[in-house]
Amino acid sequence: MRNSLTFLTRTPVVAALLVALGVAAEFASGSTVQIWSFLLVNVLLAQSINVLTGVAGQISLGHAGFLGIGAYGSALLMKNLGLPLPLALVAGAVMGGAGGWLLSFAAGRVREFYLAMMTLGFGMIFYEVVREWTSLTGGVVGLSGVPSPSLRTLMLFGWRIDPVAYFQITLAVVAGVVWLLRNFITSPYGRAFFAIHVSEVAAGSIGVPRAATKRNAYTLSAALAGLAGGFYAHLVGYLGPETFGLHRSVEALVMAVVGGLGTLTGPVLGAIVFTYLPEKLQVFAEYQFMVYGLILLLSFVLLPRGLAGLLLPRPRFSKDVEALPPPPPVPYTATGTGPLLSAEGVSISFLGLRALDNASVTLGAGEILGLVGPNGSGKSTLVNIISGIYRPGDGVVRFDDGTLTGLPDHAVARRGVLRTFQDPRLVPSFTVRENVLLGGHRLYQQNPLAAALNLPGALREDAEMLGRAEAILAMAGLSHLADTPVRDLPYGDQRMTELSRVILANPRLVMLDEPAAGLSEGELHKLGGLIRHLKAQGVGVILIEHHMDFLNELVDRVVVLDSGKVIYQGGMAGMYRDPAVVAAYLGTETHPGESVHA
Amino acid sequence: MHFVLQLIFSGVCVGAVYALIAMGLSLTFWTTRTLNFGQGSLLMTASVATVALLGAGMPIAFAVLLGVLLAGGLMIVAERIAIRPLLKAGDSMGWVVSTLGLGIFLQGFVSTVFGSQAIAFPSLVFDSLDFVDLAGVQVSSQYLAVLGLSLTLMVAMELFLRRSAWGRAVRAVSHDADAAALAGIPVRRVIVLSFVASGVLAGIAGVMVAQITGTVDPGFGFNLMVLGFVAAVFGGMGNTAGALVGGVSLGVIEKLVGGYVSTAAEHGMAFAILMVILAIRPQGLFGRKEFTKV
Repeated sequence: MRNSLTFLTRTPVVAALLVALGVAAEFASGSTVQIWSFLLVNVLLAQSINVLTGVAGQISLGHAGFLGIGAYGSALLMKNLGLPLPLALVAGAVMGGAGGWLLSFAAGRVREFYLAMMTLGFGMIFYEVVREWTSLTGGVVGLSGVPSPSLRTLMLFGWRIDPVAYFQITLAVVAGVVWLLRNFITSPYGRAFFAIHVSEVAAGSIGVPRAATKRNAYTLSAALAGLAGGFYAHLVGYLGPETFGLHRSVEALVMAVVGGLGTLTGPVLGAIVFTYLPEKLQVFAEYQFMVYGLILLLSFVLLPRGLAGLLLPRPRFSKDVEALPPPPPVPYTATGTGPLLSAEGVSISFLGLRALDNASVTLGAGEILGLVGPNGSGKSTLVNIISGIYRPGDGVVRFDDGTLTGLPDHAVARRGVLRTFQDPRLVPSFTVRENVLLGGHRLYQQNPLAAALNLPGALREDAEMLGRAEAILAMAGLSHLADTPVRDLPYGDQRMTELSRVILANPRLVMLDEPAAGLSEGELHKLGGLIRHLKAQGVGVILIEHHMDFLNELVDRVVVLDSGKVIYQGGMAGMYRDPAVVAAYLGTETHPGESVHA
Repeated sequence: MHFVLQLIFSGVCVGAVYALIAMGLSLTFWTTRTLNFGQGSLLMTASVATVALLGAGMPIAFAVLLGVLLAGGLMIVAERIAIRPLLKAGDSMGWVVSTLGLGIFLQGFVSTVFGSQAIAFPSLVFDSLDFVDLAGVQVSSQYLAVLGLSLTLMVAMELFLRRSAWGRAVRAVSHDADAAALAGIPVRRVIVLSFVASGVLAGIAGVMVAQITGTVDPGFGFNLMVLGFVAAVFGGMGNTAGALVGGVSLGVIEKLVGGYVSTAAEHGMAFAILMVILAIRPQGLFGRKEFTKV
């Protein structure tokens, strides 16, 4: 079933279907064309909520608010100021987008159900304002007399638009918007949305700025809803507050959920189902609400990936470009005079617990440093401070003649300081290749518009990045898995994918948090190879590791932490003989009863 | 002056109910970090069921008890089909959608069976005209009873959570479910218990509000749920004293705005307060910032 329907997503087939639909409208009955126009509005609305909730992972229970801003904005501008249709529609989209942009400042601060409640609040406030602001919106009586094709009052450049022409215009615009959206979602910007969705910390670690990315998602999504609102307003010619209540927001969410969140075809399928289903349910009008409730209640259990997941193959999250051969690697030459990294006198406390106490560490370019210590000694905390996730209470971190202290994590990553996590943090629905491409985020030069229009410069950059990604995948021994979604892969392969993602970022400093944990002998060997490759490139590497034999083969130096303090610095051999290290790991006779750490 | 005092008094009473709803929401939030977005429908279902049972000739005490237990029972269903499978699937916010669906289903069911018009809710203990004279202010007996019952329930819940073995188990699960399971606490059962208790609190709140307003309709619970949520966030999710302060302040503000500005502004204001609090202090006015370990 899945593969037999694949042809439906091919570009020529889609184009032929669209043209056929546009021509068919000339011969269809008036009510059919009206329903098709409603369907297109719903497609836009479902795509809009999908961008925010399905792609960027920010749930919205107030999307009817954005729809309403666009609808009232576009209708009032045309009715009161006589703006022509194209300008009114664009203005509706811009006003919707501006609403989303404003909301993102408040909404970007909260997550999960707090966000659900906040967006719910936004939708309800919009609804109340429309009801009460009678002088502008007509209040509960509504706003009638909006120029509309069904009343033959809608003009475009002196030409009277009939419902068929209106449908054809809408179809062309919606098709264009979905095409732009597809290009955008398969661009680095779209992948950044998915990264934020899965883990904000992991997204920050590859240089994705979380606040700005969320703001983009809100603005884009709200602008799409605003555009849908404009088309809706002129389609029906009358606007009342009840159209933009909670049930409309829920309906938008239902379309995207049932269709399949995170895909482009899903919202289209969802819009088709929920434009026609109410028609069919007219007979059972009184049960309509119950059916909606049941669909919402059960869809995630019965159809976790929606209709698109059931019927269609997995969508791609990178552009279909031919990989360009990667440029030969150029080793870094140190630009600064001092060490690559120096953390000086770093201290931090959590609720009174001193996790790091005046710890100092330095690292040179092309040096591999082992960070060793019992569990809870502050190793991961130090890495978190260097990578900008925690801000130290005291002390300073310098990198390559600049200061990292106080920078947010994505800014640290942008300077070339990359890391992996104890538990691999990847986008589960992405393939290995798509996950690795995420690592290039800090390097992309293309702007969002070029990405959405598939301009040659953007495509060329994508092709170059793809070429580099293929080379790294080959080096990591992952080429045969490149097209497998990482959620289907064992732990070891996920770790190697995460490391490959870091390497694609052209790092200057790499911090690996227990990379060897859970790896087989063969995988350890490959991991060692990748780390040596980094060293040869002049990259500084910090390795948190408990696997001493593995460290022994790789590191130039080790730093041992215990209870937040540096207790040893130097070679591996000296570490085993150091009394403080031995005491930290095995306890000493002078402190009977002290617990023995693993 | 009397008008102000009366507004403040009725605000305190309804605010206490909001706090009770907030407490119900916090309970499931503690144990599973989820809450029922259909809680409003649960409030409504309990009060409609009570009306229906009274109409069938059942004694008041039984009708109320069954209505409230129905709300508790429905929460078992909610946990089983709308929460548990979706938490297992991980990552998504699917439970928001599924619990919302359950609420919409209940609302649809009630409007199909009883119609979407408001149904009169009979006086249970006091008549709506009964009043007590407190320092020259006429205080409605119904309101006073609602205030007393809400405060009693909240104190009882707080004592239960702090003193009883099950209460400590709830707190242990909220702190760290895995560690609680290792310590031999039946986490599954504690979670179900928290859902039932949440439903029962919602049911009681529903009956009390219906008593004050005198009517119920299928959409009646939604605003109450949001007000309960605002109270919970106001005080910091899961903080009983905070919820009480939050609920009462919200009730008073709401009544004052309703009395002096317009009743239409009441709802918009509650939502505006919600958004401002979430934007400025997501952890609530009394809550402590949560630490997330990376």
